[in-house]
Amino acid sequence: MKIRAIAFLTFSGFLRNKLMILFLVLFGIVVLLMMTPLLAMKSQAAAQGLPHTETVVLSLIGSIMSTLSGFGSLLAAWAAADAVWSDIRSGTILAVVARPIHRWQFLLGKFLGVQLLMVAYVLMMLALSYLLAAIGGGHIHPAPWLLIVYPLVRYALYSGLAMLLATLMHPIVSFAIMLVIMVAETIVAPGGNPWYLPAWIKTGLYAVLPSPNLLSETRYLTITEASLKSTSPLHHLTALAYGLDWALVFFLLAAWLFSRRSLSRE
Amino acid sequence: MPPAIEFRRVTKQYSSRFSKGVTALADVSFEVEAGEVCGFLGPNGAGKTTCINTLMGFLFADSGEVAVLGYPPGDVRAKSQIGFVPENFAFHPFLTAPKLLRFHATLAGLDSTAAAARIPELIAKAQLYGHEDLRIGRYSRGMVQRLGIAQALLADPQLLVLDEPTSGLDPAGRKDVREILLALKSAGKTVFLSSHILAELEQFADRVIIVDRGKLVREGPLSELLDRGGRVAILVDHLPEEMERFLSERGAAIEHGAPGVRVLVDPAMKREAVERLWAAGCDVIGMYPVRSSLEDLFLKLVGDREKAR
Repeated sequence: MKIRAIAFLTFSGFLRNKLMILFLVLFGIVVLLMMTPLLAMKSQAAAQGLPHTETVVLSLIGSIMSTLSGFGSLLAAWAAADAVWSDIRSGTILAVVARPIHRWQFLLGKFLGVQLLMVAYVLMMLALSYLLAAIGGGHIHPAPWLLIVYPLVRYALYSGLAMLLATLMHPIVSFAIMLVIMVAETIVAPGGNPWYLPAWIKTGLYAVLPSPNLLSETRYLTITEASLKSTSPLHHLTALAYGLDWALVFFLLAAWLFSRRSLSRE
Repeated sequence: MPPAIEFRRVTKQYSSRFSKGVTALADVSFEVEAGEVCGFLGPNGAGKTTCINTLMGFLFADSGEVAVLGYPPGDVRAKSQIGFVPENFAFHPFLTAPKLLRFHATLAGLDSTAAAARIPELIAKAQLYGHEDLRIGRYSRGMVQRLGIAQALLADPQLLVLDEPTSGLDPAGRKDVREILLALKSAGKTVFLSSHILAELEQFADRVIIVDRGKLVREGPLSELLDRGGRVAILVDHLPEEMERFLSERGAAIEHGAPGVRVLVDPAMKREAVERLWAAGCDVIGMYPVRSSLEDLFLKLVGDREKAR
């Protein structure tokens, strides 16, 4: 009950946050801008009387959702870094932690509040995917749970890492480090071949950093029904367990550090 | 029964990478017994808030031992019996008072029935009737402070820790807080509060602890401390000039006014002063002890140190 109360209060706080409103406005602008190629393609196909190609539509939706999914990772990192810090900065944490709760319970409540925000974001993305598919005349083949659970696990991983960093340093510094990590992950991901990076650094970074590619839902958006069926439940299970394991490790480390830090504003 | 609060040789230093560390508490030891109302005094920067944050478990002492209701600071068993009002109380501004109290009731482990009965009672006590739908962000400083005290009373705590509870309140608001504290005192609760309003503390504190620059400078029952710093007033019909000079040189305070002259002397020199006054032809109308006020004591202890700096 106590953790749930903190989680819901954190979520309510996010919904009233000015930065969050700005983020949603940006989300809307990006969606509108990225819809133009889809609409152009649809209109061209209609003008020339050509049948639409589902592969092209799905590929466009995939790239739109990939951008939004990246936005989501940034949102998860920022929300987690700010969740605890803003309470310390404003002093609201003192009255809450003075109650009979453990510090880890407070942190878990904050973490779950961030996950609630990300659930709302993922549902928005899901609704948008179906809307875009309907506009483009295509079909979303993967089951909705795939498009919900995969990004949520990825966001849990990022928010856990951001929360861990924010227990040690200022949230802006934490967020900057998160950005660097995200860029590094993309560079060292399989398939990428950065000529400027020695192989041993690439291999080392790949081994150390979490690999969000394994938790990408957008790859399922673009594949056909046949190849989708070939993905076994065990593959999903191991991929999701991989992400949850990282998230759990980050959260436990954050909880351990948080139990030892000062909560004063000084 | 263990003391409600126990500090034993507690030291806390704020360190910084870029500057010399600041000692906020240096070897501070004191106890607050259960059922006492204890005033915690000190000038700004004396270490009062550090002390309170340490006992609440928000900060960790570098050395020494702290126990609250027999438990280490931050222990959930102790916190379930503590009501706390931090200095400059901050709330989630988008909540209304009933929603905030419901949130704190959940954290305090109150069931929904108990919370539903307690919340309107506390809203009334905090005089926030008619403002239940107003967001806290739109409250005045005084309303926020009263709400802070209301949330501290939510779970009927055994120990109340209040950091400047009357700051930001107008005289009427301060009077309300004083009445709440007096009611808590008569209910046998332990109250540990820091305040700058010494005249108020004097009315209900059983005991005071005075800190300055992180060190404990005086502690004890209020009556004892005030008697110790007291003086004796000798009322005479007139006071010759040479006699006034003589007494002033020996630290006496002279107050001219109707119906005569009041000479305030240390209890140790009252006999000598009276004999000299008689010898000088003054008629001694009366003699009585004068208790010093808490403000006098505080200024004497802290002011002397300020001068010495």
